[in-house]
Amino acid sequence: MKYRLVSGLETHVELATATKIFCGCTTAFGGAPNTHCCPVCTGQPGTLPVLNKKVVEYAIRAGLATHCTINTTTHLDRKNYCYPDLPKAYQISQFDKPLCEHGYVELESGKRIGITRIHIEEDAGKLVHESGYTYIDYNRGGVPLIEIVSEPDISSPEEAKEYVEKLQLIMRYIGVSDCKMQEGSMRCDVNISVMPDGATEFGTRTEIKNMNSISYIEKAMGYEYRRQIEVIESGGKIVQATLRYDEHSGETSVMRTKEDAQDYRYFPEPDILTVVIPEEKVDEIRASLPELPTDKLHRYICELKINPATAKLLYKYKRVCDFAEKAFALGAGVKNTVNLIVGTLYSKLETEEDKEKFLLPVTAEEMAKLVKLADEGKINITLAQKTLAKMAEEGKPVSEYIRPADIAGMDDGELEIICRQAVEANPAAVADFKAGKDKAIFALYGFVKKATQGKADIKKPDAIIKKLIK
Amino acid sequence: MSVDQKTIKTLARLSRLEFSDEEIEKFAPEFEEIIDFANRINEQVSGDTESIREVVTRTVGWEDLREDEVKESLPNEKITSNVQAENGYFPVRRVVK
Repeated sequence: MKYRLVSGLETHVELATATKIFCGCTTAFGGAPNTHCCPVCTGQPGTLPVLNKKVVEYAIRAGLATHCTINTTTHLDRKNYCYPDLPKAYQISQFDKPLCEHGYVELESGKRIGITRIHIEEDAGKLVHESGYTYIDYNRGGVPLIEIVSEPDISSPEEAKEYVEKLQLIMRYIGVSDCKMQEGSMRCDVNISVMPDGATEFGTRTEIKNMNSISYIEKAMGYEYRRQIEVIESGGKIVQATLRYDEHSGETSVMRTKEDAQDYRYFPEPDILTVVIPEEKVDEIRASLPELPTDKLHRYICELKINPATAKLLYKYKRVCDFAEKAFALGAGVKNTVNLIVGTLYSKLETEEDKEKFLLPVTAEEMAKLVKLADEGKINITLAQKTLAKMAEEGKPVSEYIRPADIAGMDDGELEIICRQAVEANPAAVADFKAGKDKAIFALYGFVKKATQGKADIKKPDAIIKKLIK
Repeated sequence: MSVDQKTIKTLARLSRLEFSDEEIEKFAPEFEEIIDFANRINEQVSGDTESIREVVTRTVGWEDLREDEVKESLPNEKITSNVQAENGYFPVRRVVK
């Protein structure tokens, strides 16, 4: 029998605010243990939480960017559980009135993964287990999170990967999070069940907690899918449980089953009043959203006629796009600009993070100047590439490498002289070309290229040479 | 409302409290009384609820929210002054196997 995989993801995203959700402590990553803490985020008696405006704003941004409706009247709730990572013995979260609901993320195939809800909550502290002790660092406690809950619309590990990557991209584009899975600023819980093809009822699900890498998510889903099918095929039943994934063995193991499931006893947070967000504020946030990744990719391919493979190399990195678009606006041709970025600048930006940060000392203005020289045929593309590579290393303007005299000096008369020399110096190639060997003309191109030091685009000499040979 | 011993045991577990069987036996009826007492509020508000709703639904607006400005945190010695900190950490008995 064939089985369908049914999966939904709960994704925690740390918001890039300067301060924690309920107090003014910094959210900076790392720091000596328990140095980003105050009486509020360590739950001292008599303290009161005050909601950070930016947290609400960022969560609304995330909601709007994933096509959610915004609940303009919203409140927080207490989720009670006893564990040392929570000094208050409860987490302030949202239960029945999340800030955002009913959105979606669209995959490349056009399939939409529904977003059930996005709510705000506080992160817990970090626990380090060593010998007989657990050591607690509350620096992360109180850092703002959004939890993005998807519908069970995901039907393969590949779709899960694409969904997480899309979410990551959207959140980075709109500037609400850096979504670094390795630093824990994005983590996923994966809900998964299987059902026979054609069945109408979902199977019993398990939940794999705290996945912090996309490739582990894929692997864990694959493992759990096969495990569940094996259990069913051998006559067993899936037990609803929370699992952990062991990265080394590639297997899942049970953390707790339904019998000892947590009873969180949610109730409205009495220390924080219901928040009413003006509609105008939501409109304002909507108006401030940048072009979203999918729209940008579409525009690059359909309007700017960038080939799809190149467009995909560009749209993932917002800063690269901003740079390219600024150069376009300054008159740089699209084709040469994007080819130079992908061909030359990307070779200086090896990692994903390098491309994301895009810290090269080349300004869009200088880029536009260089590209325009290539667009106008004043320099050929090889020289443009070499010059750009130097600019990226040394941070100097185009004029340092290509003097106005070099370009101005290459007038048509001079070019014709060089072409004439090329014809005279290569009688054999000329004869071959006349005899029908089209490729023989490359010998003449080579001569011109060398003589002009690459400063002439090959189109013009090509025309002159052909005229001369005739 | 009736409160049985099983409910008391669950509550005790969730609150990390330990009780003897005798205590649990005694608590069940006491809890019932407490809950019945609290339930009297429901009886009182069955008439005019408008004034109460006003209190319940008090709200804050956009401007009442906190600006995202960093304030100084407490030094580690202060935040850990109630425990015997180890390298700045709060130590507790190991919570995972």
